[in-house]
Amino acid sequence: MSSPVVRLTLRGVLARKFRILLTILAVVSGVAFVSGAFILTDSVKSAINNLFVELRGEVDLEIRTKIAFGDSARAERDPVDISLMKDIAALDGVRLVEANLLRQATIIKSNGEPLQTSGPAFGISWTGPDGLDGRTLLEGVLPTESGKVAIDKASAKRAGYVVGDKVTLVGPIGKGEFTLVGLTGTGSTSGGGGASVSAFDPITANEFLGADNKADSIYVGLTPVATRGDIQKAIEEVLPSGYEVITGEQSAQETAGAINEIIDIFGKVLLGFAGISLFVSAFLIFNTFAIIVSQRLRELALMRAVGASTRQIHQMIIGEGLVVGIIATGLGLVGGLGVAKGITFAFNAAGAAFPAADLLISSRTVILSIVIGIGVTLAAAIIPALRAGRIPPVAAMRPELGFSALQRSKRLIVGIATLAAGIALFSVGLFVQPGGTVGTLGGSAIGAVFLFLGVASLSTTIAAPVSRIISRILPFPLRPMTNSVPGRLASRNAQRTPRRTASTASALMVGLALVSMVSVVASSVKKSFTDQLKASVTADFFVTNLSFQGLPVAFAERLAELPELGSVSPFRATVALVNGEEKQIGAVKPEIGDLVDIDIQKGSIDSLADGDILLYLDPARDLNVDVGDTVDITWQNGKRSTLTVGGIYADSSVAGNWLIGLDTLGKVSSAPPVDFFIGAKIADGISIEDARAAVEKVAADFPSAEVQDQAEFQKSQEDQLNQLLAIVYGLLIFAIFIAILGIANTMALSVFERTREFGLLRAVGMSRRHLKRSVRWEAIIVSVFGATLGIVVGIPLGIAVAIALPDSFVTATVVPINTIVTILIASIVVGIFAAIFPARRAAKLDILDAIATH
Amino acid sequence: MTQVSTSAAAGAINASKIYGKDDSEVRALDDVTVDFALGQFTAIMGPSGSGKSTLMHCLAGLDSLTSGRVIIGDTDLAQLDDKQLTSLRREKVGFIFQAYNLIPTLSALENITLPMDLGGIKPDQEWLDTVVDKMNLRNRLSHRPSELSGGQQQRVAVARALASRPQIIFADEPTGNLDSKTGAEILAFMKYAVTDLNQTIVMVTHDPVAAGYADRVIFLADGKVVDEVENPTAELVLDRMKHLGS
Repeated sequence: MSSPVVRLTLRGVLARKFRILLTILAVVSGVAFVSGAFILTDSVKSAINNLFVELRGEVDLEIRTKIAFGDSARAERDPVDISLMKDIAALDGVRLVEANLLRQATIIKSNGEPLQTSGPAFGISWTGPDGLDGRTLLEGVLPTESGKVAIDKASAKRAGYVVGDKVTLVGPIGKGEFTLVGLTGTGSTSGGGGASVSAFDPITANEFLGADNKADSIYVGLTPVATRGDIQKAIEEVLPSGYEVITGEQSAQETAGAINEIIDIFGKVLLGFAGISLFVSAFLIFNTFAIIVSQRLRELALMRAVGASTRQIHQMIIGEGLVVGIIATGLGLVGGLGVAKGITFAFNAAGAAFPAADLLISSRTVILSIVIGIGVTLAAAIIPALRAGRIPPVAAMRPELGFSALQRSKRLIVGIATLAAGIALFSVGLFVQPGGTVGTLGGSAIGAVFLFLGVASLSTTIAAPVSRIISRILPFPLRPMTNSVPGRLASRNAQRTPRRTASTASALMVGLALVSMVSVVASSVKKSFTDQLKASVTADFFVTNLSFQGLPVAFAERLAELPELGSVSPFRATVALVNGEEKQIGAVKPEIGDLVDIDIQKGSIDSLADGDILLYLDPARDLNVDVGDTVDITWQNGKRSTLTVGGIYADSSVAGNWLIGLDTLGKVSSAPPVDFFIGAKIADGISIEDARAAVEKVAADFPSAEVQDQAEFQKSQEDQLNQLLAIVYGLLIFAIFIAILGIANTMALSVFERTREFGLLRAVGMSRRHLKRSVRWEAIIVSVFGATLGIVVGIPLGIAVAIALPDSFVTATVVPINTIVTILIASIVVGIFAAIFPARRAAKLDILDAIATH
Repeated sequence: MTQVSTSAAAGAINASKIYGKDDSEVRALDDVTVDFALGQFTAIMGPSGSGKSTLMHCLAGLDSLTSGRVIIGDTDLAQLDDKQLTSLRREKVGFIFQAYNLIPTLSALENITLPMDLGGIKPDQEWLDTVVDKMNLRNRLSHRPSELSGGQQQRVAVARALASRPQIIFADEPTGNLDSKTGAEILAFMKYAVTDLNQTIVMVTHDPVAAGYADRVIFLADGKVVDEVENPTAELVLDRMKHLGS
């Protein structure tokens, strides 16, 4: 070992193995989370990309209609006319031409329930493995006539079907009975990447999928001698206007890209939670190092006395941080594989189908994990290292001089400045929203970090009085702990080292502040939603489909024919350019007026039937139009319309900002329509039971749809929100777990430090049980202090977020008292849990050994 | 009197150290002028609060004076910044403390060579061997402090102080934590270091027996040098102390 600093550093780590171990554990979990997020997204993306490359098969070129604006992969394109195929097939160099048709088609299991899939449920036109796409036949034969279907092997297996079974499918225009004749897959998988795929011969597909002799696009395969560029040009020449031809690679990339974007968002959310965990673990690292430095005061002073420079002391402490960082990062990367597998497993168990993928560790994952893991550790070790450097050599003989050097800091000023900066950044991010979503999220996240640091710093000032108050209240409503000796000792100990108490509690504060914040936002969203539903929705039934694919349009058409129902309207949506900006435009029937109270101010809802457009107050004001004026609109397929403003309304909570009639949409767009949901009102004189029975009867033909009355609809929306909340809380558990580790660690270090004191207490007659209780009470004081800080910080943050969210989303602000009480009670449990090991350790002390230690 | 002789290893001139302010002011050192000759073993004695430890801390550059000067060799400590003080401690000064003298994570040999290692200086092997042998530590070199007896630990501390052949060694109650037999052994080693290895040692103690090993004893009371004895014996020191107390 060359340098004495390196030697001292390594020996220092080895001598404090156990204390360092908990620190490492905290960093490991943070790094594992970060690398796990990267590994998971990389692996899934690569699997998706492979799947689409495979599915592209021998498609060299693809012909489709053009769009005027917007996202190429998600655009609602007009279908192509399959009569074009003849002209294309006649071109030199073209080997094969196929219609690509892909529509919604749900597999119904033998028990009548729809097969749930994480991806979409598709029905496709398929010419078989000799055709252009990359699908293969794994079992059975090709479906070549009406009444026959092939299903991807994975979905068939999940649905419990084998070749030869009768299978019910629901397509865009209704139900159909088919015989399962084949099972499909791709080169490397037996499924569709989470989607279910039902393949029909082209004629059957055209009928069952309601394609009306149109296709989504045309696949072109070339002869081996053909030059793709030349053929592409030749095709462009024969194509009518409004069509384009792209390469198969581009097509695969676009489709995979759209899915990759979703995975990236998922990955970023995970990274966000990983960041929270790391932030919390930074508190733990900081705390451990700060305590170790104060416990090593005499040793460090001795080193200074025999000639170690301030710099060498800095290097030593930072070096220990480095060792922790390196070990933790290494373990964290391995842990990342576990996290990736764990998340895949958890989400798959919850119904998502992540494609089975080999876990990929890219160099980016490794580099970022190293930078983050080691960076966070070092950053957290810097302040303790600087403090250690301030220990004067004379402290080797007079430790009290050293303690005063460790205590010196400008905490109050720095704390207030940090807190102010945090609040400012958070508010700017939330309310000014510079630079769109990135600016909003980034600004408020960085603001929150500063805010937490500021509160953590200031909490030292209040740690002692708050600890005193907590110890006088708990265990409410029993007699306060300060009535007994162990409780009093715990209270004094918590007050004795306010800095330690505060920074340990702060780690818990971060996690619980976020929980409080999220619960305020969620309660506000729930309340707003319920309020809106009560205030503006008058429909008796809602039909929804929880998958993002929406409902077959046939459903609404059949509901409208029911005599038991009065007004029925589906809700469709499209995007269009209005005044150069992309807007979401809703399409409904004029009956909407009976289903939703849009609070029409001028004009009439019935004007929808005349092809007019209705505007919410805001866009009407922005465009400066009134009833009778016109609005120019460019649709995604490039068509333009000039629509007359038929009315202006004041409630956009359900209807959105723009409404047109279904017929208007049908005239401008021939993209296959899908309904997001359907609202229906019971006809006069019909009982709710009769109406419901009639609706359910129709719904039996559309098993993926769900019929709900107002109360059920509200409940299902709340259930969805609760599910999302459960995931968020689940991910925050990591951060809270690290904070619990932190409390356990601080308590263990404190017990170690007070060995002599405990020995003395035992010598004068304190029982092991009392000693244990004292340690436990102290941990509870720390955790309840942390929870209180978390709630005090989190609730205003939550209120701020609720206010900042758009009014169409949140109109009421609710502070959920239940959640807050739960957090406080849970924090007591956390304290008890964290104290288990340190308390046991304190109780195990041998009296004589404890007193002899110095 | 104010002239520090050139043969002095270290000295203080008009040294004052004041803690606190105004009413609560404590004069730990009150205009002390003293020097320590090269090759001499000096003991500083005095009752608790007499300022003996403060004097030693200031002499060793561990603490700073309120006024006056401290000189080690030909260096005025007041002129030095923290960095220079650090290297002075490393190269020109050795320390022996009462307790907690060693770094627990380092072996005996590593503890002995620590000041030189920190300074990036290669130890003089011949001298190191001499010191190790004289302190009778040869077969204890690879042991950790926790594996050594109190006396052995203190011998390691003496060896460390000697190893870099400093200008002067300061010892703060070096036998305070030891039984009398082990204490005597350590003092004999220290005496030997002065007589045979030609080192200079300044020792703070309140033990007349320990002071009896010194060539010279300085008595401090209330921050002032009040008496001085050359070639003391334990009896003589005890006698003077009684005298001081009266």
